[in-house]
Amino acid sequence: MPPFLDALLALAMVALATLALLDRQLVRACAWFVAFAVSVALTWWSVGFIWLALLELLLGALLTGAFLFHALDIRQWASAPRGRLARWRDPVPLTWQRALMRLLPALAVLIMLAIALDNLAGTPGPLLVGGMGLIGLGLWAFALHRHLLRRLLAFNVIGTGIFLILMALVGDRNTAAGHGLVVTGLLVALLGTALGALLIRRLNRLDGRRILDVAEAGRSRA
Amino acid sequence: MSQAWLPLATLATSLLVVPVIFSLPEGAWRVRTALNLGAALLKVLLVAMMVWGLYQGQSYQFSFTIVRGVNFLFQVDALGLMFAGLSSLLWLATTVYAIGYLEDSPNRKRFFGFFSLCVASTVGIALAGNLFTFLLFYELLTLSTYPLVVHRGHAKALDAGTTYLRYTLTGGLVLLFGVVALHVMVGDVTFGEREMLADLGPDAHGLLTVLFLIMLLGLGVKAALVPLHGWLPRAMVAPAPVSALLHAVAVVKAGAFGIVRLVYDVYGIGLTYQLGLLTLLAVIATVTILYGSVRALAQQELKPRLAFSTISQVSYIVLGISLFGPFGTVAGLVHLMHQGLMKVTLFYCAGNYAEELGIHRIDELNGAGRRMPLTSIAFTVGALGMIGLPPVAGFISKWYLGMGAVQANMQWAIVVLVASSLLNAAYFLPVLYRLWFLRGPSHGVGEWPDERHLGRLETSGWLIWPAMATALFSLMAGLLAGVPFSPLDLATFVTAEEYTP
Amino acid sequence: MIEWLGLHTAYSNQFSDSLLVLLVLMVPLLMGGVAAFWRPQRRWPVSFVILMALLTLGLLALFLLARQILEHGSQAWLIELGPLALHWRANGLTLLLLLLTQIVTLASAAYAPAYLKSEVGRGGAQAWLWPLQGVLTTSLSLIWLAGDLLTLYIGLELMGLAAVGLMLLPGRMEALAAGMRYLLLALVGSLAFLLGVALLLGGWGRLDLAGLAMLAEPGPVLWVSVALLSAGLLLKAAAFPLHAWLAPVHSSAWTPVSALHAALVVKGSFFIAVQLWVVLVPEAKAAAWLVGAMGGAAVLWGGVLAWRSVKLKDVVAWSTVSQLGYLLLGFSLLIGTGPTVAAVAWEGTWLQLAAHSLAKAGMFLATGNLIFSTGESHVKGLAGASRRMPLSLLSFGIASISLIGLPPSGGFTAKWLLLHAALEAGYLPWLAALALGTLLSAAYVFRVFRYSFVEDAEPLDYRRVPWSMEFFAMILALASLLLGLVAEWPLLLLRAPGGEP
Repeated sequence: MPPFLDALLALAMVALATLALLDRQLVRACAWFVAFAVSVALTWWSVGFIWLALLELLLGALLTGAFLFHALDIRQWASAPRGRLARWRDPVPLTWQRALMRLLPALAVLIMLAIALDNLAGTPGPLLVGGMGLIGLGLWAFALHRHLLRRLLAFNVIGTGIFLILMALVGDRNTAAGHGLVVTGLLVALLGTALGALLIRRLNRLDGRRILDVAEAGRSRA
Repeated sequence: MSQAWLPLATLATSLLVVPVIFSLPEGAWRVRTALNLGAALLKVLLVAMMVWGLYQGQSYQFSFTIVRGVNFLFQVDALGLMFAGLSSLLWLATTVYAIGYLEDSPNRKRFFGFFSLCVASTVGIALAGNLFTFLLFYELLTLSTYPLVVHRGHAKALDAGTTYLRYTLTGGLVLLFGVVALHVMVGDVTFGEREMLADLGPDAHGLLTVLFLIMLLGLGVKAALVPLHGWLPRAMVAPAPVSALLHAVAVVKAGAFGIVRLVYDVYGIGLTYQLGLLTLLAVIATVTILYGSVRALAQQELKPRLAFSTISQVSYIVLGISLFGPFGTVAGLVHLMHQGLMKVTLFYCAGNYAEELGIHRIDELNGAGRRMPLTSIAFTVGALGMIGLPPVAGFISKWYLGMGAVQANMQWAIVVLVASSLLNAAYFLPVLYRLWFLRGPSHGVGEWPDERHLGRLETSGWLIWPAMATALFSLMAGLLAGVPFSPLDLATFVTAEEYTP
Repeated sequence: MIEWLGLHTAYSNQFSDSLLVLLVLMVPLLMGGVAAFWRPQRRWPVSFVILMALLTLGLLALFLLARQILEHGSQAWLIELGPLALHWRANGLTLLLLLLTQIVTLASAAYAPAYLKSEVGRGGAQAWLWPLQGVLTTSLSLIWLAGDLLTLYIGLELMGLAAVGLMLLPGRMEALAAGMRYLLLALVGSLAFLLGVALLLGGWGRLDLAGLAMLAEPGPVLWVSVALLSAGLLLKAAAFPLHAWLAPVHSSAWTPVSALHAALVVKGSFFIAVQLWVVLVPEAKAAAWLVGAMGGAAVLWGGVLAWRSVKLKDVVAWSTVSQLGYLLLGFSLLIGTGPTVAAVAWEGTWLQLAAHSLAKAGMFLATGNLIFSTGESHVKGLAGASRRMPLSLLSFGIASISLIGLPPSGGFTAKWLLLHAALEAGYLPWLAALALGTLLSAAYVFRVFRYSFVEDAEPLDYRRVPWSMEFFAMILALASLLLGLVAEWPLLLLRAPGGEP
């Protein structure tokens, strides 16, 4: 495995995650997220964790993606006219001040983590560097966004980062334990995302109905 | 563990009644009355059995472990029995009185349920064999009296309840801290094991003094020592039987009894004297006695006047304790009983005036002696006893207090005694004068505020007889002070135990 | 101190040995499934018979397990799944927690049919209630039994998801919004936990607690990982200042779910935190001080919020925050103090946990009954409720005695032990926190009672509460009360061989 490819993979993961987390068009963000999951699967493959790669592909890309699109009510999106896309857009604009403020906690965690990792033997591989990047990015996005779906995406990114670091630290010492943790983690992430996605959809529908009710009431009073 | 069942059964008579009363419907008046009276009678009987057994040299003990090093302990000694006897006797009277007083009023089920719980706590306090058990029932008493204080449910009662809780819960907490700290120092102290603290040596004296003060603070709230007395006058909004009970036996007495236990059975009078704490107690008692009397003088209503009088009178107990020497001890202990008898009489009478004639203010009492002679006689007995005139019980207390002061070489206490007796006379004699010598509605002058005819006698029999009985007891406790089983005899018995090593 | 956790036991990898413990884990799941299939509201004879059979099986397994532990000391099992090995162990503490879990879950599950039928009607996803309760019980049992970080992680995640699922069941807007918030927080908490575990695994290459206890050396890796683990766990345990999610979650959830959550779920995370600190950083006194300070702040802030709450359920929910603060105070007394202090604090902490679980579950059920019978969810709406003296108000009162920590409740005995430990360790600010916490909890509880005693309120139209709802609330409340008197029994379990402090 040439180091060049390693670096490229790590870069690809971080870049795709950045796109997924920063895109305000939610459908596009989810698409980026699926691409990100595929790149993670590729990384697992490249370091020799075939099973994890397959699992990531299945749970991370396929099922999580499906639930995310379900949360967005993708069929309605496809049939909606271009002008009514506001529903699939995060309305909260990003300001620099807020973005910088929210960076601080993420940085604090990263520094803490770096100190700890520095004390553990081992050369920084793509997993470690990519993982650190993903954790920082995810934490920042989680603190920054208010939209529930985007927070869910951020959660998934952080989780992936942690899995990468975990497997990098385990190396080949206690792979079974590492695998056990990651598989549990993946399942939990999937279940959490699924629950969250269903909830978002339910909330959207209830919310929409409530808005309609309010409008109805206002009209009848007028 | 000889005959452990007797103290337990005494507790159970009132504790087990509680769930039964709560499960009875509100309308089951007869069953509830029978149950209350039966339990109260049974309790008097059981306590009498224990008094008898104690004189025969029997010992009653019951204990089990709560957590390591902390035991729940019931231990019957003369002091505890004295208190148990007083409470069971007065409870019988108060139950009768409360049945009459609350006739046809709402929430009687709730009242009698908590009333019984309150008795159970007092009995627990009396029989407790160590500080942990004492604390347990001391706090239970707080809880069970709250619903009684707020029983009327109007804003004033609710506020009084809140004030009551603020004082007593804080006091209980402070006491808890003291007890735990003492436990950390020496472990479980069974009442009567005075040598445990005395053996600690002079190094521990500083800490012991601090702990004593902390526990005194906790107990002083319920004993209504100035300046911790604020809750008592406000709690006057409660129904008359509750006031009678709070003042004569339950709450105030629990505090005073706790101080007695602390001085005699935990620290030991010798150690307390050595630490110089008796002088402090004497000063606090003096201040409370004089302050309570002066404030009582200023009250225009009957119940608040009695309330401030209680504050003052209970501190006679503390004063008696603080006089180092057997006579002081006898005085303190005997007053524990005498004050209960006399004060309960006065409150019954105040309740009778309020119920029958709607009288709350003292200036409305003119000529009430003619309308309600029996009640007024009982009131007179109680009031004269409070002033300390022979042959009522109060005289015995004050006599022994004076002797104790001479014995402890604290002659100034006699001055306090005289001053406070004069004050007592100043706030009770005008009431008596109005009762008997002024012309009022029964002479055709004016009208009673709210006259009702509750019974064939001057008022309902349920209200008259308890007052007469306790008045009679106060008189007898003074007249027959020398016979066995009189309060004085019991107090002498306890004192003998205390001073003979 | 680590030996109190019973981790250093010879592991048995015979499948037959682990049958009992598997049974203990599986029975709740089965019971949940059965109850979902034959819904107790409709087909109670069928489900009752099968459930009783299963219950007997589960309790029998637990009983046999208990006998093994009490006779032969703690037991440990190695569950091998291919190359992966899970470590499980059980000692007296595990047994106590297992028993507690079963009692509370059973009470809440048995409360549910009548509640669903009369209060909820047809709304919400009712069929999911029992299976999720089963999952919750199993996951909690897994947490109590776990001897390695992987099992702990699985248990923690399962518990979190089941808890979120239970919260969502009502299906109303508020429930969903609160559930979503809770979900996100739970997920973030578990990520922090996982990252901490990853560091430990990277540092020392193993996940079993016994091995980590031997190998782990102080250093940045250990500190960072413990910090991450603790942060995740304390977030899930609603420890101050990570507590804000708790009250909104409770106010919209179904009553039996709230009871279960406040009684057990938050305790699961707390237990893991204690265990990890004892194993990994038993000497980190300064950090434990910090946790203790957080606990003190939680006691005060939770108390204040409970006091200011308008809604009845919020009072109970915020009081959970405050009570968890006591647990954190106990926690800080375990780490880095001497063995004598730690031994007392150890017993105090677990007793507090058990007492609070029972009391809080009872209180939530009683609150649900009060809301059901009066139709009022506000504290003020209870005005005059005590006139009927509904049993639920009594249950509420009994449970609150334990919450305030008044004798003779379990909360009192636990507070006694914690005070003892704090005094012995010289942690004086802790005393202040315990004192203020007691007063605050008295303030918020008696605020409720104050309203209930209002006499001139408009009469409420009461709905009859089904007897099973009254019954289970009362049982739990009474259990928390009596726990104080029989505290020695659960504590004897803690001192079973292989766990004695």
